[in-house]
Amino acid sequence: MKIRGKLLLGCFLVMALAAFANAQDVTIAIGSEPTTLDPQLREDGGERAVNDNIYETLMARTPKGQLIPGLAASEPRLIDPQTWEIKLRSGIKFHNGEPFNADAVVFSVKRIINPKFNSEQISFFNTIQDAQKVDNLTVRLKTDGPDPILLSRLYWMKIVPPKHSMDSKFAEKPVGTGPYRFVQWDRGESITLVRNSNYWGTKPLVSRVKYRFIEEPGTRLAGLMAGEFDIITNLLPEFTQQVPKAIHILGLEHPIIILNADGGPTKDVRVRQALNYAVDKDALAEGLFEGFAQVAQGQLLSPSFFGYNPKVKAYPYNPDKAKQLLKAAGAVGATVELIGTAGRWLKDRELVEAVAAYWDAVGVKTKVRIFEFNEYLNRLFDRKTRGDAIFVVSSNELLDADKSFSAYYKAGGIGSSNTDKQLATLIDNARSETDFAKRKSIYHQAVKRAFDQAYFTWLLNIEDIYGVSARVDWSGRVDAKILVSEMKVKK
Amino acid sequence: MGRYILRRLLHGIIVIFGVTIIVFVVTRMVGDPVKVMLPLEATLEQRAAFEKQLGLDRPIMVQFVEFMGDVARLDFGDSLWQHRPAMEIVFEKLPLTLVLTAVGIGLAFVLSIPLGIIAALRPGGVSDRSTVFVSLIGLSVPQFWLGLLFIVVFAVQLHWLPTSGTATIAHIILPGLTMALPVLARLVMIVRSSMIDELNQQYVQTGYAKGIPFLRVVGLHALRNASLPVATLVGWETIRAIAGYSVVVETVFAWPGLGLTAIQAIEREDLILLQAIVFSVAVLVVMINILMDIAYTLIDPRLRLA
Amino acid sequence: MAEAAYSSKMLSGRWQDRLRGLRSLTQELWRDKAGFIGMLLIAALLLMAVAAPLLAPHDPAAQDLRARLKPPAWSAQGTWNHILGTDHLGRDVLSRLIYGSRVSLLVGAAVVTIAGTFGVIMGLLAGYRGGRTDSIIMRWIDTQVAFPGLLLALIILAVIGPSMITVIIVLSLNGWMVYGRMTRSAVLAVRQTAYVEAAEIVGCRAHRVIFRHILPNLTSPLLTLAILEFARIVLAEAALSFLGLGIQPPATSWGLDVATGKDYIFRAWWLVTMPGIAISITVLAVNLVASWMRLISDPQEREKQFARKMAVRQRRRRATGQ
Repeated sequence: MKIRGKLLLGCFLVMALAAFANAQDVTIAIGSEPTTLDPQLREDGGERAVNDNIYETLMARTPKGQLIPGLAASEPRLIDPQTWEIKLRSGIKFHNGEPFNADAVVFSVKRIINPKFNSEQISFFNTIQDAQKVDNLTVRLKTDGPDPILLSRLYWMKIVPPKHSMDSKFAEKPVGTGPYRFVQWDRGESITLVRNSNYWGTKPLVSRVKYRFIEEPGTRLAGLMAGEFDIITNLLPEFTQQVPKAIHILGLEHPIIILNADGGPTKDVRVRQALNYAVDKDALAEGLFEGFAQVAQGQLLSPSFFGYNPKVKAYPYNPDKAKQLLKAAGAVGATVELIGTAGRWLKDRELVEAVAAYWDAVGVKTKVRIFEFNEYLNRLFDRKTRGDAIFVVSSNELLDADKSFSAYYKAGGIGSSNTDKQLATLIDNARSETDFAKRKSIYHQAVKRAFDQAYFTWLLNIEDIYGVSARVDWSGRVDAKILVSEMKVKK
Repeated sequence: MGRYILRRLLHGIIVIFGVTIIVFVVTRMVGDPVKVMLPLEATLEQRAAFEKQLGLDRPIMVQFVEFMGDVARLDFGDSLWQHRPAMEIVFEKLPLTLVLTAVGIGLAFVLSIPLGIIAALRPGGVSDRSTVFVSLIGLSVPQFWLGLLFIVVFAVQLHWLPTSGTATIAHIILPGLTMALPVLARLVMIVRSSMIDELNQQYVQTGYAKGIPFLRVVGLHALRNASLPVATLVGWETIRAIAGYSVVVETVFAWPGLGLTAIQAIEREDLILLQAIVFSVAVLVVMINILMDIAYTLIDPRLRLA
Repeated sequence: MAEAAYSSKMLSGRWQDRLRGLRSLTQELWRDKAGFIGMLLIAALLLMAVAAPLLAPHDPAAQDLRARLKPPAWSAQGTWNHILGTDHLGRDVLSRLIYGSRVSLLVGAAVVTIAGTFGVIMGLLAGYRGGRTDSIIMRWIDTQVAFPGLLLALIILAVIGPSMITVIIVLSLNGWMVYGRMTRSAVLAVRQTAYVEAAEIVGCRAHRVIFRHILPNLTSPLLTLAILEFARIVLAEAALSFLGLGIQPPATSWGLDVATGKDYIFRAWWLVTMPGIAISITVLAVNLVASWMRLISDPQEREKQFARKMAVRQRRRRATGQ
């Protein structure tokens, strides 16, 4: 009885402490618990959210998405088409005292590209062949061909300490150079970080951050409303009025509909164009997403992405023109199968159903088929029998056209539904063009060609929405990273 | 007694074996984890390599033999989702489910005895009728809904208790109550009806007549005789809580126990983790069953013959 | 043990008596107000499910993105066009409730029928054949009862893919054992009675004995069990749908509507509340009827009821006497 009483008292004390003592603490609720805290191993959103604050990369980005040197002292130089030289900042130490230098960089690069290491992030770095130390603060990277987006790639490579990363506990006790230092991981419950008092850059204001893992958006919201969390991710647009503060910023996700250019009613370019004219994208953004999405400008790219063509604009909403085009193509009353899934992406099913209603309104018969995700993937990857129209949400972390275009625009890509050789050649050429201006112009051509051919029904560019408590100031980033060093707690 | 327990143990092992086979068949025959585990843009070569890594490209019988070996060594392999041994995850999550179950069932048990007795003292009286009616409502309200209402009222509106998590004792109150209420409703009904039966028995009347204090009659005699059906129900409800309710309650309150983990593993098609969870729960259920059987024979020796 | 109690009371209740007593039955139903209300509610639910297209003011799947999350009619921004408001896609909540009753009742009825039929057949086989058949079936039942049923159901649903059919199959697979056990013990008890022994000696064929003498005696306890199981199944379907492993959109189900509604719980309380109340009322009605059924169909229980009344009266008399 006595012991239990003490225990109870202790618990109340802990609660009281948790409530009052932490003026400079921030609690962030993320959707999933990290499966590891090794920053180079997995492709895992939970891991990234935490490690983005512990580790740093050679290149960084401003909140608006512009590439700037991070751990690199200056912008890397291209020595020959396949070699980049990178100067490093001096005097930086890892949290455990290991020095940050050329050895650490070479080690980190070799670690992640080693096939035996079997990193899930390898698709970001598969062009990198080798890393060499030139002197203590200079490194050269070799690529297997000209790689114009190496700098974007480097933004995803976290630099690890050579000695500590050999430790068997490395995946549970991360050590980086970043503004926050790892303290504790209570599996299933939380991860705690504290401010790194020896940080080389601007001193962060928040002294302590706690991550909680809450899968259900409703539960995250409840926690924010109850004052338990300061920042929650993936807030639904409907709740932006309810929460103390909602911040929204154009994100990396683009819902689009892939139209089959090789068969079915969508083989005719006029039908594909009609299916674009038929959809009121503004209404989708305003109605379904309550204004927290922007109309995609006829391309699978956001304005901040490399390759974005500002001259191409979205097909305007023009149902009459759509009807004319369908009539001209003789496709009035044709059945178009629209394939989608439910519950995978924000409002996926709702978008599909809304688009179907628009298409029906101009005179095609849309057969909506919502599959469970597994079955949906079968349809998306099926190269032999392409569905007429497949809904997908593309996400592009490199902020460069290459990734999305290789997957969806280029003939033979995992989700592409066209056999346009000219377009494929453009994408291939851009991939090895190291001259920025030339590369940009190639992408502009590719964007234009796909737009004219209407290979897709481009829909929206979704905004990331965060719910934020009244006591925290933060404005979000285009790359969807949650950097605690950019936050402030009000007194 | 010893032979009886041995027989129950043997039966338990057969049950576990059966569960293992069913789990294997269902997951291998119908599921395809490869598609779901890899990112959308992964190439066909990457997919084939992954399949090989999981050992899913080999003949089904080979897989089965190896699987049984793994089970015997309690090693199901690494979770596809968390990339660490599945049993490690199970052992990490299981205590949380057990704590939640213990709190829920314990609460229900402790509350059901006085409530049931009060109702039984005057069958048909006001307290009896209201207890029965409230219990019926408790039986009829879906648990997930109850949990959501609790969150809205006690966490968000009143700010009394936290919405989710496990950090302090305060965190277990809402999920514990949600777990307890339907169990409480059923227990109260059983306590009530067995107490009514006992209170009408000759010996209780005799007890009264002899002038033994009322509470003593109820407490010592009637209650003891009512303990068999109550114990049966408590055992059953414990099993149902571990293998059923916990999934729902843990989902609602983001309580990171085995139930929530099972749902997360399903969402990620993590067959290996799922196998480990179902196997462990089966073992647990069988163990509770055996304990229940032993408890019966202690309460009522006549049952040993059965 | 409990089953033995069931069987003894069956002797006194004859099938023919029951038919003749239909009138007294309705009288009794009227006397038990709770049971009566339960009956009324179930009748109303059945009517609602059957006449859903006539009753529902809107198509339950029809979206109206401009009229999303409208509150019920009685609140300030509500309209009588959507009496219980609209959901996140602008679908009419009342219409969804009405159509949702179909799913709950259909799944409940289907599972009770399938599991009940299978369970009774197995119980009859075990009880009547005895010997090897009996022990095999009973081992099977014991084994399956010890399975962690819901978890296994979750796996099957996850792998095969959820749909109404899978939900029915999984819940039936999980629920037949109770019927089997009850039928078997009743058969064993009835077979030992004089009249069945007599019938067998006279040379009645097995099916005649089963259908003429055994099954009629089983009717009312089985009916009570089936009704209780029905309540359990309705809750189980709702829970599975809530977890995303039951009925899938665009079909409607109350559990599913609670699951989608919970994301909107702070903006649209009615989305979670209404289907939750619908589930509760349905299950409550079924439970009320079941407890009433148990009272009237169980002579022992009726005797007890009478004894309790007398005891209370006595106690009162004692109290006033002092």
